[in-house]
Amino acid sequence: MEKSLQSQLEEIKGADILIGIPSYNNISTIGHVVRAVTAGLAKYFPGAKAVIFNSDGGSTDGTQEEVKRVQIEDFSTILTSYPLHPVHKIVTPYHGVPGKGSAFRAIFEAAGALNVKACAVVDSDLRSITPEWMDLLLTPVIEEGFDYVAPLYARHKFDGTITNSIVYPLTRALYGKRVRQPIGGDFGFSGDLAKFYLTKDVWETDVARFGIDIWMTTLAVAEGYKVCQSYLGAKIHDAKDPGRDLGPMFAQVVSSVFWLMAEYQHLWKVSKESQEVPTLGFRYEVGLEPVSVNTDGMIENFRLGVRDLMEIWRKILLRETVLWLESIGRLSNEAFSFPQDLWVRVVYNFAIAYYKGSVHREHLLKSMIPLYLGRVASFVKENQESSAREVEEKVEDLCEVFEEMKPFLIERWTTG
Amino acid sequence: MGEVWRIAITGSFNKFLGKVLTFLPNLLAMITILIVGFLVAWIIKMVLLRFLKAIQFDRLSEKWGLTYMFSKGGMSYSPAHLFSGFFYWIIVLITLILGINALELTATQNFIARFFNYLPHLFAALIILVIGYLIAIFLGQAVLIAAVNAQMESARLLSRVIRWFIIILSLTMALSQLGIAQNVIVAAFTILFGGIVLALAVAFGWGGRELARDFLEKLYKRKEKGEGTDHISHI
Repeated sequence: MEKSLQSQLEEIKGADILIGIPSYNNISTIGHVVRAVTAGLAKYFPGAKAVIFNSDGGSTDGTQEEVKRVQIEDFSTILTSYPLHPVHKIVTPYHGVPGKGSAFRAIFEAAGALNVKACAVVDSDLRSITPEWMDLLLTPVIEEGFDYVAPLYARHKFDGTITNSIVYPLTRALYGKRVRQPIGGDFGFSGDLAKFYLTKDVWETDVARFGIDIWMTTLAVAEGYKVCQSYLGAKIHDAKDPGRDLGPMFAQVVSSVFWLMAEYQHLWKVSKESQEVPTLGFRYEVGLEPVSVNTDGMIENFRLGVRDLMEIWRKILLRETVLWLESIGRLSNEAFSFPQDLWVRVVYNFAIAYYKGSVHREHLLKSMIPLYLGRVASFVKENQESSAREVEEKVEDLCEVFEEMKPFLIERWTTG
Repeated sequence: MGEVWRIAITGSFNKFLGKVLTFLPNLLAMITILIVGFLVAWIIKMVLLRFLKAIQFDRLSEKWGLTYMFSKGGMSYSPAHLFSGFFYWIIVLITLILGINALELTATQNFIARFFNYLPHLFAALIILVIGYLIAIFLGQAVLIAAVNAQMESARLLSRVIRWFIIILSLTMALSQLGIAQNVIVAAFTILFGGIVLALAVAFGWGGRELARDFLEKLYKRKEKGEGTDHISHI
């Protein structure tokens, strides 16, 4: 920890709540996030000593200055009561591997140094955050005794495709807890859990990047901490090109999931059916902006994979799976379909190959992207006319297939 | 006369006997070296084989593409057997040379000295070839995956170009290390590489004009229509 940061923390002399905001060039949205957090703390925790901790990755657009500048001049315009303590703000660059996980590490360190009761982390590119999020993420920790609060959002039916097709079904099948948004990005957790995270030496791995969310959720579930989820409403991000970061994001998230599988194999091999986790918050329908999906481009990418990456896939997949993929690669765009059980086989076989190390791990993960895009295209095509509720039921169906085929994973994991 | 004969014959016999007596220890030394050498080679082979199996060398070789390379070369042995066998024969070769050297024949002395001076170059060349091949396989595969994910139609061609470029480069370096026609090889490589670059420049500049125009037109039109972009958040 830097000396200047250490002296800032020592000056504060302990706190009740810490809100971490990781950022990198988010000047257009971070002001709104800081205002919402400040108002939420004043409204729901007026008697608590709170710190807003901005862990920045070296923004060049003035993000850090914006965080320092933003404040609520007159609380009476939004609140009926005034906070007893002023909210402290710390703006600091993080060190280590550039990525969200390293930013979180600095937040955990600050939480440990201030010996806080509860923490929350929120993304800095959120447009839909409201002051109520502070209540929903922190109250379960402070008053209900939960250690980890995962978010639950209203999202567009085609949003969160890595979550819906891999991370949620796989985590649920493995560890037996139905945490719907395990990589949501906005979490609440106890000070004790923050200290526990710091005991792990993972800060040179993909956990230091996009893998941090699934790592936090998995550790909370697997280590037996009390987990719940809070309904936060809509999740709307700042507009950016999602395709730009797909490769590294996909590889880092999936790599972390597969790596954790090896770490906790003693747990998931004996874990049986999945169970609901307590869900808090008032659920309501939200009108979401329509999104465009280029399924033809995704199918084309899948076909290119079938044509050119088969040599690699053959080392990972079983012969009948390879033949199945080849046959769907010959389908027209209109008839294209990537069945659920084929997808589950693919994910399980890739996880096994990652564990066995039969293919270079980065190559393995990146060669999975055309398969993932094929599955996403198929999912979008199947659900073009479906409502959000129907799509949610399809995701639940997929989860059941993951659970039903878990014996296949356990058997192949052991025998290879 | 008879005395002269006797002296001549016994003298010649004594000389022969002297030579045999001088040679015999050398012969025995050679036989001993050969027996010990073969035994050491066999022990090293077995120890190495066990070690390679313990570190799962065959699986690693599969991952690095060595198994694929050997199978393409028509070798049915596992990489662990091949490597331990390779070291066995290297030790056998050194044993044979040491054995011959033990005979202390002038004709073989120079040859052996030159062989041992050349041996480091041979090893260096071999290492360059193996490392070069592994890098070629690794980078070829990385380029192939990246190109497929970038939706490039010519992904496989690009991957092969990268792979062969690195193989040819390492071959050139290995031959240069062996001292075989160094100038010719460097010149040939320069000409070959320059030729490829020139051919590509001409192909793209002249032959690919239409293709480039079509590509840019399609890209521009697609951008204008806003096609081809997704707005879903993957995470």
